[in-house]
Amino acid sequence: MENIEKQVREQAKKLLADGTVDIVVGYEKGTLPFQTIPCFITNPDDAERLVWNRFCSVNLAKYVHDIIFAHKASQVRTKPEERTKKTVGIVARGCTTRSLVIHLQEKQYDRDQVVIIGVPCTGYIANKKLSMAVNGAEITTCTVAGDALSVETKGGKRDITVNEVLADSCLTCRFNNPVISDVMIGDAAPPMPDGEKEYNAVDAFEELPIDERWAYFTKEMAKCIRCYACRNTCPSCYCKVCFVEQSQPRWVGAGIDESDTQVFQFMRMFHMVGRCVDCGSCVEVCPMGVDLRKFLKKLDKDDLQLFNHRAGESLESAPSLSVHRENDKEEFIFEP
Amino acid sequence: MEKRVIKKDALAGIIKKMAENMVVYAPVRDEDNVLFTVLEEEMEPLLEFDNTKNAPKNFFFPQTEVMMRYMKTERGRELSTVEGEATPAVLFGVRPCDARSFVLLDNVFNDPKYKDPYYIDRREKTTIVSLACVQPPYTTCFCTSVDGHPFSAEGADVLLVDLGDTYLAEFVTPKGEELLKKMGDLPAADEALEAKKEKLSDAAGKAVNGVVPGRAIKSWMDENFEHPFWDTIHQSCLACGTCTYLCPTCHCFDITDEIKKEDGRRIRSWDSCMSWLFTMETSGHNPRPSQKQRWRQRAMHKFKYFVDNYDAIACVGCGRCVMYCPVNIDIRKIVTDISNL
Repeated sequence: MENIEKQVREQAKKLLADGTVDIVVGYEKGTLPFQTIPCFITNPDDAERLVWNRFCSVNLAKYVHDIIFAHKASQVRTKPEERTKKTVGIVARGCTTRSLVIHLQEKQYDRDQVVIIGVPCTGYIANKKLSMAVNGAEITTCTVAGDALSVETKGGKRDITVNEVLADSCLTCRFNNPVISDVMIGDAAPPMPDGEKEYNAVDAFEELPIDERWAYFTKEMAKCIRCYACRNTCPSCYCKVCFVEQSQPRWVGAGIDESDTQVFQFMRMFHMVGRCVDCGSCVEVCPMGVDLRKFLKKLDKDDLQLFNHRAGESLESAPSLSVHRENDKEEFIFEP
Repeated sequence: MEKRVIKKDALAGIIKKMAENMVVYAPVRDEDNVLFTVLEEEMEPLLEFDNTKNAPKNFFFPQTEVMMRYMKTERGRELSTVEGEATPAVLFGVRPCDARSFVLLDNVFNDPKYKDPYYIDRREKTTIVSLACVQPPYTTCFCTSVDGHPFSAEGADVLLVDLGDTYLAEFVTPKGEELLKKMGDLPAADEALEAKKEKLSDAAGKAVNGVVPGRAIKSWMDENFEHPFWDTIHQSCLACGTCTYLCPTCHCFDITDEIKKEDGRRIRSWDSCMSWLFTMETSGHNPRPSQKQRWRQRAMHKFKYFVDNYDAIACVGCGRCVMYCPVNIDIRKIVTDISNL
């Protein structure tokens, strides 16, 4: 992993120095022992700040979209012939590249505007699982050596294996190596342990009677404080004005009325059909620990079973709801 | 001031007994979170906990509240108010940092010129029982850098100090003394216990890990609205509301009307300066058009504007925004970086 980090820095430095990219998006060390911060490098000498480790969690593809669109917006008053394009370099694991594929399929920017520094991934540590592993105690130091994790809290030291605290979406990930890249770093990572069990939790949930499923949904949504961290970290949530904030008409109330929160969450989820890459960012950033993945994974399973499609798998395979086929199955519409 | 002793194993019972006759808010474990909530019969109030995830401000300044109702009837339009509906309540187990947040919020909602009847009503009818931090719960705590202290009684009606096998209970205000009557017979505290408290208090103050120059950056902020430093903090920000919604002192709000057929209600909801809609005007113009301006607003509001208006920093050093920011934007670092400019 140190070796990958070194090569990421070298590549970023090179791409910035020779002018291939204007900016590199990656991760840098945070102020808490188990956090990294998304960072933005424009000066080749700052490439040394980049890190690659098991705490690199949030999906960075969102920032590529943000940067390109902020640049576009800054040029509205520039003559068309004088406008420039922004080229963004990005440190990307499998799920990040799948999100970039979705952006490209949805024509958000051109392929030459993003330079993908692909990195093999063995999964990131989920903050919440890490915190639960030490019964919610504050973590004062946390070091990783291979698959061994040493966590220190006020209550003492604990050794755990990384797999115990990897994000659920990482454990069942089938795309831990980039699906597209311009520069590949290191050797391909081995498959993640639970790929075959990808839909086990959804299968079990589907078996429950409808009132129990509804009770679980309402219980989870009741935790939501409408901070929109899930939406804002999601690379597939890039609408200029989200339906929640539209006022003519107003689809969702501004308050924390139970039904408004539920409507926000399931409307967002429906927008994710064939577009959710299961990167786990929404789960990772949620301050209240809402189990969003259970529901998103159900949509993902339907997408696979009904349309044989996996979000962002390849540039050729467009999101299911963006294509029309005359032979689309439709029985499912009548059988909820 | 009355000072009494409560046996350690008796406290939970006293709280639960109080909850039979009045509304008691207390920290309760809810799955993975510790949250302030109305104590129901089968619930166990937490006495040993670090701090709650949600700030207790919600009880005086709810995330959503109805300010008035209006309806169309045969006789025309009718209006009704909802003021004065609060019931007497006890807010138990507030950490001293969070208790101080109420004193800061009073500046805004109980200003000599502008009185907020909804806030004041609840505030007056609620008694606050604080739990001193004998050991500052987190390494991200920095209350002593923003004029607070782990044993501060500011904002509390009753301050409880865990002395090992007993609690020392100080009934700080008349409201606190009223509560004493409902707590049954409690023996008076002697001087030895008070001396013990003083000792613990000194140690706790020194144990607060975070040191940030909270007051010192004000003069820099006075002069540097356009400084390039403001270009360096917002880029990774997701623009979510985690920091502002979990913050005990953030108090910006938005007012909207909701109409269902003939009935309408005017509601007030928390706003967040992190949201792109914050200060968006009807014309489509926003004086704070990007996350950079919104972040500057957040930092300036806490460490400059509030100081200008009320001579207090609008931050109590609880560290929630530091711990729960999804991308680890750290206000301690921002303040420290500014002080080094």
